[in-house]
Amino acid sequence: MDMKRSYYEDIELFGSGTVLFWAIILLAGLLAAPFFATQYHVYLFNLILVHIIVAVGLNILVGSTGQIALGHGGFFAIGAFVTVLLMTKLQLPFFVALLGSAFIAAFFGFLLGLPALRLEGPYLAIATLAFGLAIMHIIGHMELFGGRTGLSAPPLDIGIPQLGFSWVLHSQVSKYYLILAITVGMVLFAINILKTKAGRAFVAIRDSEIAAEVIGINLAVYKTLAFAVSAFYAGIAGGLYAFVLGFFDPFTFNLILSVIFLVMVVVGGLGSVMGAIAGATLITYLMYDLFKNVGEVPVVGDLLVSFSRQWLTVSGIDNFNLIALGLVMIGIIIFEPLGIFGAWIRVKKYWKTWPF
Amino acid sequence: MPFGQLLIEGLAMGACYGLFGLAVVIIYKTSEVVNFAAGDMAMFSTFVSFHVLTVYGAPFWVSFLAALAFAALLGVFIEFFFLRPAKNPSLLGLIVITIGTQLLLAGVASWKWGAEQQAFSIPFSYQVTYEIMPGFVISQWAIAVFIIAALIMAFLYFFFKHTKLGTAMRATQQNKHAAKIMGIKTNRVFAFAWAFSSVIGVTAAVLLSARTILDPQFMMEPFLRAFAAAVLGGLMSIPGVLIGGGIMGLIENFFGYAWPTWKPITAFVVIVLVLCIRPAGLFGKHYVKKV
Amino acid sequence: MKMKRILTALAVPLLALFLLADTGFAQRERGFDDKEIRIGQWGPQTGPAAPWGAVARGSKLVFDMVNEKGGIHGRQIRYFIRDDQYNPSQTMAGVRELVDRRGVLAFVGGVGTAPGMAVQSYLRQNEIIWVGVCSGAEAFQDNPWQWNMWPSYFDDGSLLAKFAVENKGYKKIALFYQNDDWGMDAMKGINRRLKEHNMELVAAVPVEPIERDLSSQIARLQSSGAEAIIGIVAPTQAAIALRTAVSVGFQPQWLHSYNLCDFALMNHITDGLWAREGVITSAFTDDPNADTPLMNSYREAVKKLAPEERWGIFYMAGIVVAEPLVHALEKAGPDLSTAALRDALDSIADFKGIGPRITWSKESHRPPRELQIWQCGPNGETIVVQDWIENELSME
Repeated sequence: MDMKRSYYEDIELFGSGTVLFWAIILLAGLLAAPFFATQYHVYLFNLILVHIIVAVGLNILVGSTGQIALGHGGFFAIGAFVTVLLMTKLQLPFFVALLGSAFIAAFFGFLLGLPALRLEGPYLAIATLAFGLAIMHIIGHMELFGGRTGLSAPPLDIGIPQLGFSWVLHSQVSKYYLILAITVGMVLFAINILKTKAGRAFVAIRDSEIAAEVIGINLAVYKTLAFAVSAFYAGIAGGLYAFVLGFFDPFTFNLILSVIFLVMVVVGGLGSVMGAIAGATLITYLMYDLFKNVGEVPVVGDLLVSFSRQWLTVSGIDNFNLIALGLVMIGIIIFEPLGIFGAWIRVKKYWKTWPF
Repeated sequence: MPFGQLLIEGLAMGACYGLFGLAVVIIYKTSEVVNFAAGDMAMFSTFVSFHVLTVYGAPFWVSFLAALAFAALLGVFIEFFFLRPAKNPSLLGLIVITIGTQLLLAGVASWKWGAEQQAFSIPFSYQVTYEIMPGFVISQWAIAVFIIAALIMAFLYFFFKHTKLGTAMRATQQNKHAAKIMGIKTNRVFAFAWAFSSVIGVTAAVLLSARTILDPQFMMEPFLRAFAAAVLGGLMSIPGVLIGGGIMGLIENFFGYAWPTWKPITAFVVIVLVLCIRPAGLFGKHYVKKV
Repeated sequence: MKMKRILTALAVPLLALFLLADTGFAQRERGFDDKEIRIGQWGPQTGPAAPWGAVARGSKLVFDMVNEKGGIHGRQIRYFIRDDQYNPSQTMAGVRELVDRRGVLAFVGGVGTAPGMAVQSYLRQNEIIWVGVCSGAEAFQDNPWQWNMWPSYFDDGSLLAKFAVENKGYKKIALFYQNDDWGMDAMKGINRRLKEHNMELVAAVPVEPIERDLSSQIARLQSSGAEAIIGIVAPTQAAIALRTAVSVGFQPQWLHSYNLCDFALMNHITDGLWAREGVITSAFTDDPNADTPLMNSYREAVKKLAPEERWGIFYMAGIVVAEPLVHALEKAGPDLSTAALRDALDSIADFKGIGPRITWSKESHRPPRELQIWQCGPNGETIVVQDWIENELSME
């Protein structure tokens, strides 16, 4: 059904006017959202946006290039720590620091891509996992990075204070608009990348490394490139995360975080940018809001409390959140191997051909 | 440097990692899925044993047998209800299912048994020690670990080489469709592999919990180390995994003695370096892919 | 080209929104009304740090007892617990949810340095009262909206070392510490104390809170020839370390921090070794089994109001941090406001619950500097070997 009739159709950013229309409606909704939401929700939106950036970047590596990565918490940490350090120690403006940290993360991504030339599957998983752990511990044991105590982010000044032009963002809402703008940019960039030569090379590598090599794709270049690009995304996201939270310690960026990033991409739908966005949104929302504090929900909460008094322990009722998250993950993959994106395609197909 | 002590402790811990690594490898050998739930499956079954021991006051061996039986059922259950229904799943999809299972099991366990640490003791006490020669102190617990690890390894080696089921499992791993055509009921093989892996996992977990403590998180770190040990050993070879575990334990203890600050990551860094030289682990065969 | 047009079209409203955004969004709920006072706490109810979650549930006991007696000046206390999994981003989410959607007057307790650090500036900006963060880190000490009562790690280390040297006469003391701000601060206290006696630690061995195989650390402590080891580690690591040490025949005197003075738990998870080795710990509460009217009333209340809870030290810690807040709320009178509560907290003098004696003033919200020293008796009972003692050494 998604037939392309010409090359230009394939490289167009928005498939049709309808898509463009809905994209603009969505964006308008996102821009207006803070006027109707509490500060708490804006904070959640910020977390979701930051996670979307990581997931979209990780999707380029995992979904499009077919590599496995369990170390993106490490790149995320590099982004956060280096951005803050560049701003506080070297007095660089925010945007320079953010880009600088993202390029440093990309460089580490390139380094991690080197062993990936030879490793695959679980071997690559262990290598990336070790990278994530190593970054966490190295940052945790160096005074420069604030040691285990962590770092506090400086005021978020998006001007150039060195030239006397200072514009400090205080509230979560103003940070929200900054992060939203960057996220939209990063997502468009990701969609574009996948339509370029590099993007097609990534997909070719995923589908068959040998075939890709045979048709003249330089595996070494494109594999390390995929790692570097996705690390770049994680770096940008980390830099923003630092200011959403205001304070972070190295163990925030643990293995669980890396695993959750991977889960976001797979649950959203491998290889699809929209899927990564949906996955990041869903998982973040589940983790931070939906199934939290079930004990306080009017009717269900009382039922659960009396159930756990009878069979389990009352104090453990908050584990409901973990259980629900696990079940949602299992359910989505069982019923929709292509993730949320797969479900979306199915719904679309149904309505497009309706009533047949 | 107390050489003998580090050697024995390192080897004993390493044997536990290796034993647990076998649980990871058995599933990997049949379906190429890395089971991220392995740690918490073993944790859950250990808690079942603990429950039988403390709530029903059963003797240790009864509770241990109950745990083994429960572990086998749990393995089959997870395979049958979580993995089998997935239609044309990608490998990463299956891995995400195991991650979801891990969250589920961890949640249920700490909801049921609480987050507080528990004590779990086995007849082989770490408090009874023998000095085999000056500087080499070995506890009953360590002896039990060595014997059980050796027995299980010998059994598995024999099992995969010389039994029908073992051969069927290897065949399923190499080519699922060909195995099906040859009359192997691959679904049954998968279910069996999960049960088998779960049973070995809980054996390792019981040994580990007797030495450390029992809480809903206690298999998280050992699982990572076991996974790393399995990868180091090559994921395919049974003795390789145990040797990988031994190396893991020794590196951690000797490097950990010299640089305690870096103990949590040295073993992983060494493994990555090894993998850079031998991409398929120490004992794994690097298959050349056919087009 | 279409792309460029879209982007310029987006840029203009975006800029306008930026300017709007920093003005006037600060509407939030008040923390109390005529019927109830809302109080919140975060704590890890799930995840690796979940045993510490008992603190938040312990505070609940105090508030439930108050409500049972008819509340404070006619107002019931409504208490919220938010599970943060010891993850700063979750702490932030829980705290913002309480402040923005429920409206809370004050926070009480809150386990951990990192989660506390994450929300510290937010709570300060919003002028929300915060009593008794469960962390002895120095970073919490100069916040005008924070009243502290968790003993500082520096004092803990210093007093443990004092007891080991002055009362026990140990010459060779080693340190086994968690490699984070907790361990580091305590190490400063120990070194400061040992310097008074012209001594040095014979070894300082770090451990990460996730580690489960501690053989190499024990080997290192053993080869240092230490007679006594001061432990600044979590219960899990302390238990594993003790088991490992016994299994290699290494039996020094262990002195642990106040977080491990729960002898019932520690004795249970070390198969009785805790009692057999007579482990010494510092402590920040009165003896949990003491026969005093206050302690008895709490023990009875647990049986009645929270029968599923164990009377453990983390649970008691929740009571310790909630006591002064309730005391201040009573003092603030029926005309409640943030300012009134603040003045009431500032004027708390010589208040004694089951924790140490507290005195706060407008100038200083620092925690009390006194601790007890306990030893685990042969049957797991608490022997108070040193009554409340104040640390006279300061950091400089």
